[in-house]
Amino acid sequence: MIQTENLRFQYQNSSELFHFPNINLSPKEDLLILGKSGIGKTTFLHLLAGLLKPTEGKVIIDDTEIQLLSNNKLDQFRGKNIGLVFQKKHAIQSLCVFKNLQARLFFSKSKVQNKDIESLLDQLEILEYKNSNINKLSEGQLQRLSIAMAVIHKPKILLADEPTSSLDDETCKIVIELLKQQAKQTQASLIVITHDHRIKSYFQNQINL
Amino acid sequence: MNVWKMSLENIKSKPLYTFISVFTLTLSIALLLGIQQLKSSFKYQTENNLGEIDVVVGAKGSPLQLVLASVLHLDDPTGNISYKEAKKIAKNPMIGSAVPISYGDNYKGYRIVGTSDQFTSLYGGELATGKKINKSLEAIIGSTVANKLNLSVGDTFLSSHGLIENEIDVHEEVFTVVGILKPTYKVIDRLIITKLESIWDVHDHHDHENEEHDKNEEHSDEYKNHEEHKDHDDHEEHSDEHKNHEEHKDHDDHEEHSDEHKNHTEHKDHDDDEEHSDEHEEDQEITSLLISFKNPRGILTLPRKINQQTNMQAALPKFEMDKLYAYTGIGFKTITWIAYLILFIAGLTIFISLYKMVKDRAFDLALLRTYGASNAQLIKMVTYEGFIIVFTAFGLGVIVIKIILKLLLNTFKVGHQQSMLQGLSFTDTYPIALLVLILAIISISLSVYPILKMKISTILSNEK
Repeated sequence: MIQTENLRFQYQNSSELFHFPNINLSPKEDLLILGKSGIGKTTFLHLLAGLLKPTEGKVIIDDTEIQLLSNNKLDQFRGKNIGLVFQKKHAIQSLCVFKNLQARLFFSKSKVQNKDIESLLDQLEILEYKNSNINKLSEGQLQRLSIAMAVIHKPKILLADEPTSSLDDETCKIVIELLKQQAKQTQASLIVITHDHRIKSYFQNQINL
Repeated sequence: MNVWKMSLENIKSKPLYTFISVFTLTLSIALLLGIQQLKSSFKYQTENNLGEIDVVVGAKGSPLQLVLASVLHLDDPTGNISYKEAKKIAKNPMIGSAVPISYGDNYKGYRIVGTSDQFTSLYGGELATGKKINKSLEAIIGSTVANKLNLSVGDTFLSSHGLIENEIDVHEEVFTVVGILKPTYKVIDRLIITKLESIWDVHDHHDHENEEHDKNEEHSDEYKNHEEHKDHDDHEEHSDEHKNHEEHKDHDDHEEHSDEHKNHTEHKDHDDDEEHSDEHEEDQEITSLLISFKNPRGILTLPRKINQQTNMQAALPKFEMDKLYAYTGIGFKTITWIAYLILFIAGLTIFISLYKMVKDRAFDLALLRTYGASNAQLIKMVTYEGFIIVFTAFGLGVIVIKIILKLLLNTFKVGHQQSMLQGLSFTDTYPIALLVLILAIISISLSVYPILKMKISTILSNEK
């Protein structure tokens, strides 16, 4: 489902060349990528999501070499096939919870019934905040919303960048379990990038950068 | 959800910025439109209502007042002049047309102008329904008068004395509407036009009443003042009024006047009815004579001749209006510059509001990109946001200025229905709309620029 070959990346105005290991995930497979800060974890994730273009090498998602796509095509491809979960920023501030999900669907050109949005919110236990402004939610609730935003359009790949780093132990556990459960439900490959060792035990496949 | 709704949600999420942007923009647009409307009304008055009138001849006094009264039908007349004298002037070969007008009465605040057939053609007036005036006490009315007073052909009305609506001093003579003019958007839309004889007949009636009271009195009654016949029974007051009449203090006037009176009495000796109309024309008075020249050199020579050699004055409408415009121009200019300043501030507010959104919410915009939004969609979103504010403000500006001008007009209108204000036309709003649009485009372009430069990866990595 997602595969990389000889992926290298160099930032402009920087002499450091990042080398990334080859990965190859089949659908529904999980992967945990561990590494210290500054080692290029986020860079790797952004390459996988097509947010950065590799200096060398390939990222192949569902038989598409995404580094070859034009910017517009890449935006569309990303919107449709990839779900991203971030550490802190979760959703658009000016919209309420429900409208965030609607906006998400609009931009990725996916069609999902309102009742399916509601049932997802229900699963993630944030249905009661449906019409709340997002800055009224707690960290844990926001991370649940973040997961909802990442899976609502049924992506093929679910990428999470430090999803648990700012959460307490209990919430951390809930969030990682929800993430795995949602990935399974949407049949997506899940890649989590973190330096948070608390979640090591949840993944069979692990790489250290 | 769509891009429009996203923009609306953005606007809703920052009410204070939105309010300030809309408020300042509305204020500047309203001011600019207001100034524009006053200016174009003014221009319209000067260019259209002056029409072909090159010179106005009337009683001595303020030339501006004479022009305002006789051409724009706004002010009170300076007084009356002798029709006989006026006709002498009209014989000048350089004159193309000389239209006499006579004032004195109104109907519900709309002025009744006694004049000749040529009057309507000065303004390009054409009959919409009905026919031309054939005899005294027939009237044709302007389209505004017809609409506002709900008059149609065949209707009758009684005129009130003076130029201001009143119900105390109503004449007995019944006017009949025989025609209604098509709208000209000029001053005649708001006038009631009749024959000179109608005015004379209405006021002669008063004179005869007077004569019965004071057969042996002095000539003072001959000097009837159309406007100030308030009390016919009180002769003393009447002659007081005469004394007070500022236009006729001149001794020469009296001499000339007694001449006229002699003339008048001579005519009285005739019992012949045919002579009656002659008597009218010879001894009657008019308010002013509207002259247009066929030979443009007339403008240079005739006014001076009239001012020097007669007890009348000749005023040049164009010159008087230019002078008035120069007086008021400074005020217009100042307000215009203030309006431009506010407009600039409004543009700046819009820019800051949008730019701040783009900068502060860079992460949101980057998130939208990860959702599949293209750069073009993000730019659209910000652009729509800007335009929603601009169009709202423009709409509000138009509404606000309409209300303000209406209120001002109602406050200042008092009695006579001759408002100077033209409706706000598309051509008036168009240059201001264009200016606001250009300003909006500049503000929006400047604020969306960072989106083009946006590196989503960098923004997203900087979250921690």
